[in-house]
Amino acid sequence: MELHINGKSYEVHAEPDTPLLWVIRDELGLTGTKYGCGLAQCGACSVLIDGVVARACVLPVAGVVGRQITTIEGVEADPVGRRVVDAWVRHQVPQCGYCQSGQVMAATALLRETPHPSDEQISAAMVNLCRCGTYNAIRAAIHEVAGQAGKSSTALNEAAGAEDTGRAQA
Amino acid sequence: MIRNRTRVLTTLLAAGLVVACGVAWYVTRTPASPFDGAPAPQTPPAAAIQRGEYIARLSDCVACHSTPDGAPFAGGLEMATPLGSIFSTNITPDVKTGIGSYSLADFDRALRHGVARDGHRLYPAMPYPSYARFSDDDVQALYAYFVHGVQPVEQANRPTGIASPLNQRWPLALWNAVFTDGRSYQPKADGDALWNRGAYIVQGPGHCGSCHTPRGLAMNEKALDESSPQYLAGALLDGWYAPSLRGDVNTGLGRWSEQDIVQFLRSGRNAHAVVFGSMADAFNNSTQFMSDEDLRAVARYLKSLPGNPARDGAAWQYTAAAGTPPHPDAQTFMTRCAACHGPDGRGQGQWIPPLAGSAASMAHENASSINVTLNGSARVVADGIPDAYRMPPFRNQLSDQEVADVLSYVRTTWGNRGGAVKPEEVKALRERTNPASSNVIILQMR
Repeated sequence: MELHINGKSYEVHAEPDTPLLWVIRDELGLTGTKYGCGLAQCGACSVLIDGVVARACVLPVAGVVGRQITTIEGVEADPVGRRVVDAWVRHQVPQCGYCQSGQVMAATALLRETPHPSDEQISAAMVNLCRCGTYNAIRAAIHEVAGQAGKSSTALNEAAGAEDTGRAQA
Repeated sequence: MIRNRTRVLTTLLAAGLVVACGVAWYVTRTPASPFDGAPAPQTPPAAAIQRGEYIARLSDCVACHSTPDGAPFAGGLEMATPLGSIFSTNITPDVKTGIGSYSLADFDRALRHGVARDGHRLYPAMPYPSYARFSDDDVQALYAYFVHGVQPVEQANRPTGIASPLNQRWPLALWNAVFTDGRSYQPKADGDALWNRGAYIVQGPGHCGSCHTPRGLAMNEKALDESSPQYLAGALLDGWYAPSLRGDVNTGLGRWSEQDIVQFLRSGRNAHAVVFGSMADAFNNSTQFMSDEDLRAVARYLKSLPGNPARDGAAWQYTAAAGTPPHPDAQTFMTRCAACHGPDGRGQGQWIPPLAGSAASMAHENASSINVTLNGSARVVADGIPDAYRMPPFRNQLSDQEVADVLSYVRTTWGNRGGAVKPEEVKALRERTNPASSNVIILQMR
């Protein structure tokens, strides 16, 4: 089977019913995607399939042959993903960090589909679990990306840099 | 005048006495077996024991005659009846507590006629109305297996929880007279060998009707073979709805090919459905061990049973959900269900079943939809390997209202016509499937 992941092609030899998560982690060594519950409940294993967020622990690998798979390792190649990661860093969202690659994938999918989501839309889309309780920081980071939607990530970084400088001076 | 009345009274009394004696004889008599008086069989050849083991698999004896942590065939499984609990018995060849002292004829009487060695009638939780179809050869092979192939286990049978005088067994003889025919399977001339083999397995050892045929007021299966449209027409049992196995295009096997049926019984899954509920047990213990030829026979027979369009309605057609993004009712669906079953409800090939057009989503009876959402699906073990994908239980995550909302969405979207689910229905089944509740469902019959 040939998989398209983060713009590259990989030949994999797993059984067709193997969950995609085990193929990308164990066979391909892309371990940024995490195993949480194995039951599509927590979202730690979120990846994008053709731009739509999906849970890799319940995706039989045979079903994603020929589709574009994006994992946390490749999300920054996407302009929206790049801005999400930057905002995550600026807001220092992760605490333990285990769920955060899934959170970033879910946020990227949301903002690609809905560039200016309301609080309700964020609540509806961001159902990934975080036992550290970083939900408020996640929401703030998403709002920031949404507020800046349309600006280039370089401009954002400069703005953030200026903010940090200002904070340091104060 | 007085003399006349006395004579009438005497006649009536005498007639009554004769009838009473007749009934008393009938309900306590030991039915005949073709093996009566047969000499005790020698130790059978290994092939016969092996064949008996296969028949025990076909018949799924282990499902009821074992407890999850107990020795195989040692009995002890609790089953509910309207009068109180009964317990399956020890059918290992232990002489003291099992069937070690049973002759072949005794074994036959229990298996095909529901009469134990000491003459007491078995409750029809033992599917002897179906096992009556067994051929003499298969009875012999099964006996060989239970005497020589099963490890004896000393484990006393538990007494029934039914109080006196309702624990009298003799009325069951009358039940048998009305609801069973006790005849072994007679091949039909208009069916080919494969069809007849399928009919034999489905009606006899497979006892599919125990779950899939609706039952009457006396807990009798309304039909025991294809002569009635009620046979395998779908039934509610133990908090699950066992769907129609007839040609019903929506709630039955109308859209399944023979190959689909073979694949389902062999691997537990196909593009239409995955085993869940009580069928997971039947798959784990029985159907996956059936030979390819027998599976083809079962498929051939089931596909010969016509559906009932008057009840089943027009053929289901997929229609996309209205509105994008999906309307608010779909919120729970999108966050809890869509990751596996797909935002479009179409599942993922044979691995994760579709909700769109599934029998559970099309059937008016909603017990299976509610039960599997609350309690998830049982572990499916095919060829010794546990499944990679299993429905998780949502009973601790979703309220009655949320389960009702999400199932109402599922059962009325994508062309599904099962209909809405009420929170009260979820509440009732939640209580009945809570092991800590005083009102929990105890397995009834299969």
